[in-house]
Amino acid sequence: MIVTTQKPLDEVLDFISPYSNILIAGCDGCTQPPRGLREAKTLSQLLELGGKLRNKNFVFKVTTVVKQCDSFLAASMLKPQMDDIAAVLSLACGAGVQTIAELFPELPVFPAQNTHFIGAEEREGGILEERCVGCGDCLLAQTGGTCPVTRCTKGLLNGACGGSKNGKCELDPEKDCTWILIYERLKEQGKLEFLKEFHPPRDYQLRGWRVMT
Amino acid sequence: MSEQVTEEMVALKLNEDYCSSCSICSSLCPFEAIKRDTETGKTLLEIDKCQVCGICYSACPAKAIDIIYYDIDSLIGYLERAKQEYECDTLVIMCKGSAPDFTGIERLFGVAKFIPLSVPCVGRIPEEVFLKAIVMGIKEVYVLACDEDYCRFEKGSPITGRRILALNLLLEQLGYGKEVITLKRNSLKVKADRDLCISCGNCAFYCPYDAVKLESPGAVSFDLAFCKGCGLCVAMCPAMALELENWERECISALLSQLASEMQPPKILVFRCQWAVFPPLGEEFAPNIRAIDLPCAARVDTFHILEAFQKGIDGVLIAACSEEDCKQEKASRGAQHSVARLKERLKQIGFEDRLHFCTITPRYPEQFDKELEQFNKRIETICLKGSRE
Repeated sequence: MIVTTQKPLDEVLDFISPYSNILIAGCDGCTQPPRGLREAKTLSQLLELGGKLRNKNFVFKVTTVVKQCDSFLAASMLKPQMDDIAAVLSLACGAGVQTIAELFPELPVFPAQNTHFIGAEEREGGILEERCVGCGDCLLAQTGGTCPVTRCTKGLLNGACGGSKNGKCELDPEKDCTWILIYERLKEQGKLEFLKEFHPPRDYQLRGWRVMT
Repeated sequence: MSEQVTEEMVALKLNEDYCSSCSICSSLCPFEAIKRDTETGKTLLEIDKCQVCGICYSACPAKAIDIIYYDIDSLIGYLERAKQEYECDTLVIMCKGSAPDFTGIERLFGVAKFIPLSVPCVGRIPEEVFLKAIVMGIKEVYVLACDEDYCRFEKGSPITGRRILALNLLLEQLGYGKEVITLKRNSLKVKADRDLCISCGNCAFYCPYDAVKLESPGAVSFDLAFCKGCGLCVAMCPAMALELENWERECISALLSQLASEMQPPKILVFRCQWAVFPPLGEEFAPNIRAIDLPCAARVDTFHILEAFQKGIDGVLIAACSEEDCKQEKASRGAQHSVARLKERLKQIGFEDRLHFCTITPRYPEQFDKELEQFNKRIETICLKGSRE
């Protein structure tokens, strides 16, 4: 899932203050926590209250899109709703915001979120952590399902380094040493020989910027 | 500080002078709050365990139990007043836990005009209240209790069933006709709008009763037999795809608008868990205060809190049960969590002091009034400050 956090309301109010009729578009796709209809409504309610303090009356139209980053879905769901709309406030990740911006080049499109990373959620603790950087050359088969590119602070492909102390990272004592996690996992699976395999430096070209479906 | 030492008023008391040590109360108490001391033979009440269901009060043959809420005198007093006010001879006694809004009553019993009597658990109504109502000229009595396995006071609903069976036989023998009292059981259930579902799994995660299952591929299924109608999933659904039967979002919004329009500033709206605050019959508020009673604090929707502010309400107070007292397992904690998150966001626009979450128990009847008074003062100060600026 794509992990986002809500931008400070003041910042959003600054974006939208020049406009009155604003479409607030949620995204039901992969943003986490879900930024669907409820979040879009809540945001409209908060912005209306915040706007009143600035003597500004907004007219919000609230909607949600299955996946904002899919230009076909976004166009078919949003186009019929765009009458009188002067600006769009998107609750999607950066990819969704850009898709909407391209669909409606004549309109200002603002992000309501800061996009952080591709992550996983531990619901009980309400914690979201980064799990994938999208390197284009997945190593998880050799590392017991734990990604060193993302989770090792130094991004080491051959670890652990000398800075690993009691299973924690020298740069952040709160953080588990990823290579120790990998070691423990491989040991459990009886695959410690994987650690003998040398991983050459990453080929950054593999990451790419365009993929054909 | 010496004031704090004075004894706090409690909702239930045992009167030793009248007690005949028959043990009916201790055998009925669902919470083991009343026990008989085997050595002294005395009946003892542990108030901290008491959930003030009133079942003991309704069953005590010696009238040795005093209760603050819905005692026989206040119930009969209410019926006498209400009979004049509503001008009808049909009485509907409903447990708050399963009572839908009044249009739901019409649907369930097919009665449009009736005297409503809403109490937390019908099991607390003694036989003599039913009989007194009949004597007063009430022709038909409808009772809406919770499903037996759904009763928040465990034994309340089964006791009601047995009591009504016996009363109907008695009334028939006395010549009042057959089945004067009609009993129906109901329990609130969640309703899902499949078209809106985004398969996020929040409902399955938050449900305290395992009533929601996630099935592949990403489909959610509700087992309504397990659903206890707390409404937590409804408040947590990011797609607003869920509703609580008879407590639909729109119904609450409509009530909220109506209350907001009849209030005087500084307007205070209280969302109350029906198990946290037992309001007196015929409760009246100051002109600036109104309350919405909900089946559980979990049904307090952040949407409605914000809507209240949008409609010009100056302060929103939420009265919930503590986690230990919550009748819906972890629902109270869920409510507290989502209110805290909303408060964080309200802080960004300077509204955080206008929202307050407190935990209340009916076992100390003065607790709610104290919280309300304090909050009222706080909102008065905020509004005064606002008007000066």
